[in-house]
Amino acid sequence: MIRLTTRLLRRDLAAADFRLLLIALVIAVAAITAVGMLAERVKGALTGQANWLLAADAALLSDHPLPQHYRNGQLRMANTATFPSMIRSDGRTMLAAIKAVSAHYPLRGKLDTTLGNAPAPLAGEAYIDRRIAEQWQLKPGSRFQLGQSTLTVRAVIVREPDAVIDFSSLQPRVLINEADLPATGLQGPGSRVKYGLLYAGEASAVAAWTAQLKPQLQRGERLEDAREARPEVKKALERADRFLQLAGLLAALLAGVAILLAARRFVQRHYDSVALLRTLGASQQQIRQLLGGELLALVLLASLSGGLLGWLGQGALAEIMGYWLESTGNQSLPASTPLPWLWACAYALLLLAGTAGPQLLALSRTPPLRVLRRELQPGLRLGLQWSIAALATLVLLWLTARDLKLALLTAGGLLLAVVLCGLGGWLLIRLLLSLPGAHWRLALRPLARQPGLAVVQLGALTLGITGLCLLTVTRNDLLAGWQQRVPSEAPNHFAINIQPEQAQPLGALFRAHGLSEPAFQPMIRGRWMARNGQPVEPASYPDERAQRLAEREFNLSWGEALRADNRLLAGRIPAAGEQGWTVEAGLAKTLGIGLGDTLEFDIAGTRVTAPVLALREVNWDSFRPNFFVTGTEGMLAGQPSSMITSFYLPTDRRGILPEIANHYPNITLLDIGQLLDEVRRILLLATEALQLVLAFCLAAGLTVLAAALELNAAERSREAALLRALGATQSRLRRLWLTEQSVLGAVSGLTAGMAASSTGWALGHFALEVPVAFNLWLPLLAMLAGMLLAVSVSMWRLQRLANSTPAALLR
Amino acid sequence: MNCNALLAARQLGKTVTAGDESLTILHDIDFSLPAGESLAIVGASGSGKSTLLALLAGIDTPSQGDVLLDGVSLSSLNEDGRAALRGRLAGFVFQSFQLLPDFSALENVLVPLELHGTPAAEARARHWLERVGLGQRLGHTPRQLSGGEQQRVALARAFATEPRLVFADEPTGSLDTATGERIADLMFELNAATGTTLVLVTHDPKLAARCSMQLQIQGGRQGALHVQSMPDGWPA
Repeated sequence: MIRLTTRLLRRDLAAADFRLLLIALVIAVAAITAVGMLAERVKGALTGQANWLLAADAALLSDHPLPQHYRNGQLRMANTATFPSMIRSDGRTMLAAIKAVSAHYPLRGKLDTTLGNAPAPLAGEAYIDRRIAEQWQLKPGSRFQLGQSTLTVRAVIVREPDAVIDFSSLQPRVLINEADLPATGLQGPGSRVKYGLLYAGEASAVAAWTAQLKPQLQRGERLEDAREARPEVKKALERADRFLQLAGLLAALLAGVAILLAARRFVQRHYDSVALLRTLGASQQQIRQLLGGELLALVLLASLSGGLLGWLGQGALAEIMGYWLESTGNQSLPASTPLPWLWACAYALLLLAGTAGPQLLALSRTPPLRVLRRELQPGLRLGLQWSIAALATLVLLWLTARDLKLALLTAGGLLLAVVLCGLGGWLLIRLLLSLPGAHWRLALRPLARQPGLAVVQLGALTLGITGLCLLTVTRNDLLAGWQQRVPSEAPNHFAINIQPEQAQPLGALFRAHGLSEPAFQPMIRGRWMARNGQPVEPASYPDERAQRLAEREFNLSWGEALRADNRLLAGRIPAAGEQGWTVEAGLAKTLGIGLGDTLEFDIAGTRVTAPVLALREVNWDSFRPNFFVTGTEGMLAGQPSSMITSFYLPTDRRGILPEIANHYPNITLLDIGQLLDEVRRILLLATEALQLVLAFCLAAGLTVLAAALELNAAERSREAALLRALGATQSRLRRLWLTEQSVLGAVSGLTAGMAASSTGWALGHFALEVPVAFNLWLPLLAMLAGMLLAVSVSMWRLQRLANSTPAALLR
Repeated sequence: MNCNALLAARQLGKTVTAGDESLTILHDIDFSLPAGESLAIVGASGSGKSTLLALLAGIDTPSQGDVLLDGVSLSSLNEDGRAALRGRLAGFVFQSFQLLPDFSALENVLVPLELHGTPAAEARARHWLERVGLGQRLGHTPRQLSGGEQQRVALARAFATEPRLVFADEPTGSLDTATGERIADLMFELNAATGTTLVLVTHDPKLAARCSMQLQIQGGRQGALHVQSMPDGWPA
């Protein structure tokens, strides 16, 4: 049996359908391996990048010195202590954010200074923020006082890895060595020092350690990793993840369709052989062993070559991305595990079993009588097979995306394309058949004769083209929408602590510099006291984040209307004179606040109580000041407040900054350009990855096209030979095929274009939360592409037929 | 019923249905064939000859009656049981040759041998191909062989397993007269040399005349059973 299987395999490798089956499997394995490995590596790099924002893989933060048992000898560690304090120089004072660090800081990322890439400052030395240097004209070697110590400026900070956008540390940074801390005398009781213990090491070791730490944490202690640290980075990471998943998902889906079609042709071709083998005495089990052995070998072959191809592919992609990463001053991509490849092999087996399995089982039931009566073939129960294949595909999608919503949306879009195409195509073909003239009838007869097969071909072509559309035009639409979320002119500076009376002259200063006047928002500090008359008890929330939110002071504001970066989800926006809060929906959900609830805030000793009249959704990516809770002018106008604003400052207009600092020393300026750069870099990295993964999806899409055309290739050959034997010229044949394939391609393309546009819109709207307009040009473009693809593949086939004599083809 | 019969048909009938209508294409076929004899099933096109051959070989199932192959009732076996019995007892030759198109001549002959795990399969396949005069064409695929050569490969395949019974469906039907005669000669020569029982479907009276028994089928019914020479004591 093994010999027979080997022989069958060797012979089948020369057959077009078997090669298509192999190619489809290789593409599936390669795509899933490459996407998986790349996603793993990019995720590693992204997390690595995000870890820069933490200067570590994980950080334990606390409001008290951290006990010894939180130290781990297996991991690299560094200490930090941050607190606000005044610095003095030549009789001037400034509030600064002091950060004392140990020798190994930073564990991740680079500390970029005017000296270049620098280690932690030595004892007695300090690195200072550019703002301090600019405002006080301090240079390396200058001295300043911090508490009871005098420190020497060693360098100016260009980029600090864990620069934070945190309203508790808006002051300019002074970085010192932790050894200098005791001498400053600033660490005593009542000081507001935040202690940090940073960890870095092997991802698994860090994960194990943080898992071990979590249950031990005491009040005032919290653990952060990159994903938890910054919501905007978390969102960017999630989107990057989703885009990569989508690419992998489509490659798997398209390969599945190609396998389904190629398997049908494989089965058709094997009816005679199986009938003969059964006549010669082979049992069903032997047939199953033969075919099973052959297909197992196929999977092995595909796993090895697909794995190699995938590995090489992701290697090439990683090389390009690595180059790009290094050019932006980052480290190269971390290595991948072979896990994605093993997954891909399992996928290939499931794909083949799910799509081709039912057909192959049916094949083993071929009646031996077929040796005498060729029209006999086993009942295929196509509906059941397509259902099994669809179910297997959905499982695959879900496994790939690990996101049911995304899987269902993609599958839904593609299914819609098939149904639309099947119906639309069939109607159009019926319409064309009723046209006068023998040409149409002759050309479309093959499609009309077997409606089922025609629908399969139309459906497959549609799927292929939909995939291509989604990954070319729709992808660009999605990416454009996505990048619009963080536009290049997003605000890169925040100004806070502005006194209300300073807003007008500050606006005038902006205008004098040729800049547009920023919008000022009032900001009022308030502590949340009660909900519906019940005192707020942070400890009653099971969620740690909810506890923190309930505990801390809220920044409240008021404005006239709903801003562009806010969206009303429920209720109504209260009028200026009315009493009512609007609450950000995410916060409301976390804290269990509902529409109509009464909230009480303590604002500098005054209690303000009002009902919640609206729930809003906030686009945090706008980088404009936004507030969890806003009230109305009537409620809050009299309360002690300051103003906040954000604005975009081009590099050549930075001259306004020292002017603001000199005129309004109370105003704190915060440069968030660096954080924006990090977010944009993450987006770009994901975009690059996706663009390059596209190659696999394109290959899978084209295999679907080839498999669809191969499905009735034998019949086509006979028909062409017969027509030629009956006197049809080559050009007549070519015209007939051109007509048929053009109709097939045009109908598929048109429907695919519409489906891709709808899917893109739905993906953008529901899953990825980016604005994408319905692309009206896409159906037209897709129609042309469909015609071109279908015609070029069929012309290639026709050329092959034209080279054989009718006699050879008929034999 | 004669217990020495290698093949026997008992009240064999076949009815097919198409839509609401049913059509009986074979009625009450009943005969016995002793081992070592040759039987020609003759009749006009559409008379039911090939259907009878399919029923006798167990590759189709009857609507009525039974077939006894080496004393085993085919109706008592499932499809796999019948396949096993065919594999053990029978060889086949078809009008359309039925060779695996991508396999070489040698590989085609090897198929039934390897399917049944026959020892020294390759040597045996070579021997039989040499015996049918294709010793120099072992590596050629059906596409590279003429019709006559393809049927020789099919003969080698049929006899290579040393079956007790060979079923041949119009073995010369796709060949020109001269080639057909040479193939017929070869088939009867091998049949005589191996002592195999032969069941042959043909509409060629000359070919039928070379068999020891002739069963006439007319409109699905059994006609005369001519016996040219029968073993002693064998009832016709």
